[in-house]
Parts: sequence; structure tokens; C-alpha cells
Amino acid sequence: MSSTENSSIPFVSGARAPAGHYEEFLANPARFMLRAWQECGELAEFDLGGTRNVLMVGVDAHEAVFRAPDDQLSAAEPYQYMVPVFGEGIQYGAPLEIERQQVKFLTQALRPGPMKEYSRVIAQEVEEFIADWGEEGEKDFYEEFKELVLRTSTHCLMGSDFRAKLTDEFGSLFHDLELAISPAAVVDAHSPDEAFAKRDQARARLQDLLMKTVQERRREGKRHPDMLQTFLEAEYLDGSRLPDELIPGMVVWIMFAGFHTSSNTASWAAVEMARHPENQPGIAREIALVYGPGGDVSFAGLRELPFLDGFLGEVLRLHPPLVTLMRKVMRDFEYKGNVFGTDMTLVISPYVSHRVPDIFPDPEGFNPSRPLHENVFASIPFGGARRKCPGNAFALLQVKAIFCALLSRYRLELVDPPDSYQDVMPSLILRPSEPCRLRYRRIG
Amino acid sequence: MRVIVDLELCQGHGVCEVEAPEIFRVVDRPGDYPRVEVILEEPPVALRDRLEAAVRHCPNRVISIEPES
Repeated sequence: MSSTENSSIPFVSGARAPAGHYEEFLANPARFMLRAWQECGELAEFDLGGTRNVLMVGVDAHEAVFRAPDDQLSAAEPYQYMVPVFGEGIQYGAPLEIERQQVKFLTQALRPGPMKEYSRVIAQEVEEFIADWGEEGEKDFYEEFKELVLRTSTHCLMGSDFRAKLTDEFGSLFHDLELAISPAAVVDAHSPDEAFAKRDQARARLQDLLMKTVQERRREGKRHPDMLQTFLEAEYLDGSRLPDELIPGMVVWIMFAGFHTSSNTASWAAVEMARHPENQPGIAREIALVYGPGGDVSFAGLRELPFLDGFLGEVLRLHPPLVTLMRKVMRDFEYKGNVFGTDMTLVISPYVSHRVPDIFPDPEGFNPSRPLHENVFASIPFGGARRKCPGNAFALLQVKAIFCALLSRYRLELVDPPDSYQDVMPSLILRPSEPCRLRYRRIG
Repeated sequence: MRVIVDLELCQGHGVCEVEAPEIFRVVDRPGDYPRVEVILEEPPVALRDRLEAAVRHCPNRVISIEPES
């Protein structure tokens, strides 16, 4: 145990005993992080219920933190509150060398081969979803995309049979899990809290539901083109199989990592398209060029949409679904003359770093033509280095598939004043405020 | 041309291996993440398009091409 002595790092104002900045953080982590940076600059210390944290802003900080080995800066330690959600033995509830192999199972499920099938599945789901939208109308795009992404992700993950039997219960169980991922969980995920009791019930029910499909698939013995198939065949390096009872945890893990993050990003993308409607024809033209009239949405096509990529890059720059990425110091970590000891948690905030004017000139301006920054640590909506979200390519593919279908048919318009659509964080995942109403009109 | 990979950032997704199997191979490493291995560091010009596709589609942006000096 070493303690941090860096009198030169400014401490964020407004701390109140005994919880420090906890209350302000709880209200809206994104806004608090932004204030901490504006007040203190590149390094800002703050207190969450008696724990020491330093917000580190900028490409140098990102690179130093993301390149550090796990035994020096641990991602598992600060995220222990996810263990009751995913389950013991999964991700940060497993030893490091097992967790690394589980990440490998994920990347295997997301290779170009399977991705071709997912592209087809997602495109089909989107087509069905908007089939009855008619000539024009008004919808809440947060709610709509939540439902759509639930369908696409369960289809890609669990296959067509599971998807066909999808009930409201499945979504509401995830909602119960989501409600327990709160800033309160960061402090103590096992405290006697009603939300945590509901989380444990929901997780147990999901285990039963998903296990039923695992057992059916084992009995049936036929191969299916979904992620579940990868897990059924997954083997650790010592030749042992991924135990069946852990497969539901893998599914919950991916759903969690990919469900709300993707649906919230799609919602924000729709809002930004409506706020900046001059971009919609350009995106639609690019889509038409890749597919031609009546062309099928394909994996290869979805990968080659530079203008839509640039547009989504801006959406993720301004509205990154995860606003804080935390690392606990396990042994002394030096950065620009400061030595952080094991009493410290380091915090990287994509939400803040994406607004640094030296890196992104006119940071609040939405500019889909903004060039991709040459420094790989500048834009970090998915984190970085070996702890980068392994689903990043899948997430972008999914959101692009949604807009390919949508913008080939409709134009989006705001219903409410442009500034009424705000970043809010009722859970730890950033989303647009409610109501998230947009109007859509069929193009001639 | 020469292939440069920032191995510290590689998660072993294997997209490059699919795009250009003549140049890249993903290897398992006990106790650690799988990682790419460059098997052809100075690929012929004929492989340029495939190498560029690997660079473009790497989910972690870890591959770069150093032009002939």
C-alpha cells in the first residue's frame, strides 16, 4: 500500500463531508467531470464517498493509462459492481487469465465471417421494424431504438428461435439489471438496496431462461449462425470447454456492453441528423451509391460508408455512452512528475476529453467532416488499447445498418426546440433526455 | 513498404488475418490476450490493397504502413 502525495494536483471545489463530491457526481457524472476539468485542467482530484480519484484529460493521459499493464492499473477492481450483474466466473468475476480468454471468445464471435451473417440479420430486423411506419409520423426515438436494438442484438446473440419467442419479460429483466448499475453501485453493489435485490432476482431468472436455450441447443446438436454457437464451441487454452452454466453470463455481459450503449448512440444519431438535416441527403446518396436501388445491405457495404462514419464519429465524440473509464492503481504509477499510489483511482472521461479544443477545434460544433484524428488516443468512445471494447466494430455496423434502412426511406425532423434534447444519465450510460421525439417523412 | 504493428494495443481480433492472411497471423499466448504476428514484414506491392484493407478495418487501429525510404 502506497499513498499518493501530489500537493500540486488541484482538488475540485464543492466537496462536502462525508461523501465528498458523491452527490454531485450522482446527479450527472458527465456534467461533474466537465466541471472538474474546466476548473482544474488536465489533472483534477475528487472524492467519491471517501475514495480518492483523479480525472486525467488529454491524449498523453489516455496513452499512459491505456498502455499500462493490468497489474499496475486494474480495470477489474473499479468494476467489481458488475460482477453480480454478469455473474461470478464471468469477466471481472474471473481470474485475469480466464477473463482474457473470455474476451477472445467475444472477438471470435465478431470476426468478419460471422459479421456477414449479423449484417444480414440486422438489416432484416430493421426492415421489419419500420415496415408499418407509413408515410409520416412522430415517434420517441429513444424508446423505438431501445426496442429495435433489443431485437437485433438478441437475434445475433441467441439466434432466430430465441428471437422469435422474445417476450417483454426479457427486456424488463435487463431493465432491472440496468437500474442496479447506478453510481450507488460504484460505492457498494451489495448494500441492502431494493434495486440490488431486484437485480439479483432478474439475474437468476435470466440464468434459467438462457440456460434452457443452451440445453436445447446441446440436445439438438445442430450448428447455428449466432454468437451462442461460438460460446457452445469455446475452449480455453488448456483444452477445457467454457462451462455451460457460464454461457448465460457471457450473453448477459455482451447484452449489457452492447445493448443500451448502441441504442442510445442510435438515438443520439437520429437527434443529430434532425438537428443538422443538411447532412441527410448526403448520407442517403452515399448509401444509395453503395447499394444501388433495391440492393441488399451487406457487411462489405456497411464498412465503406465514410460520410456516415464521420457523422457517427461526431455523435460518439459529443455523446459517448460511457463517460468515465476507471482504473485502480495496483502499484505506483508515474505521470508527468506525479506518482499515484495504491489509494488512487484514475479516471479517463471520453465525454470531457472529446471536448478539449486543442485536440478538437470548436469542440461543441457538430462537424461530420472533421477528419479522424491521427492520434489513436484522441477519440476514445470505446476506450483504448487492449481493454478497448471488443464489440466496437459490431456496434458501428449495427447503427449504420439502422440508418441505411431509415434514410433510404425517410427524412428526420425535430419536434421540440433543438436545445431541449440534452445529455442525461439516469444510469451510468449516457442517453438523450425524454421525450426524444422526432418526426419522420417519406421521401419522394 | 513495411508493416508496423503497435503490439501493445492489439487485442487479437483477427480482422487483419482475414483481410491479408499472407501478412498476418493471430497467435494465442497462454495467460495473455491473443496477439497478431506479422509473418511478412515487407509484403510485395501486389498485396497493397489487402494490406490497406487490414489497416482500415483493424478495430483497434494498430497497423500502419511505412513507405519505402
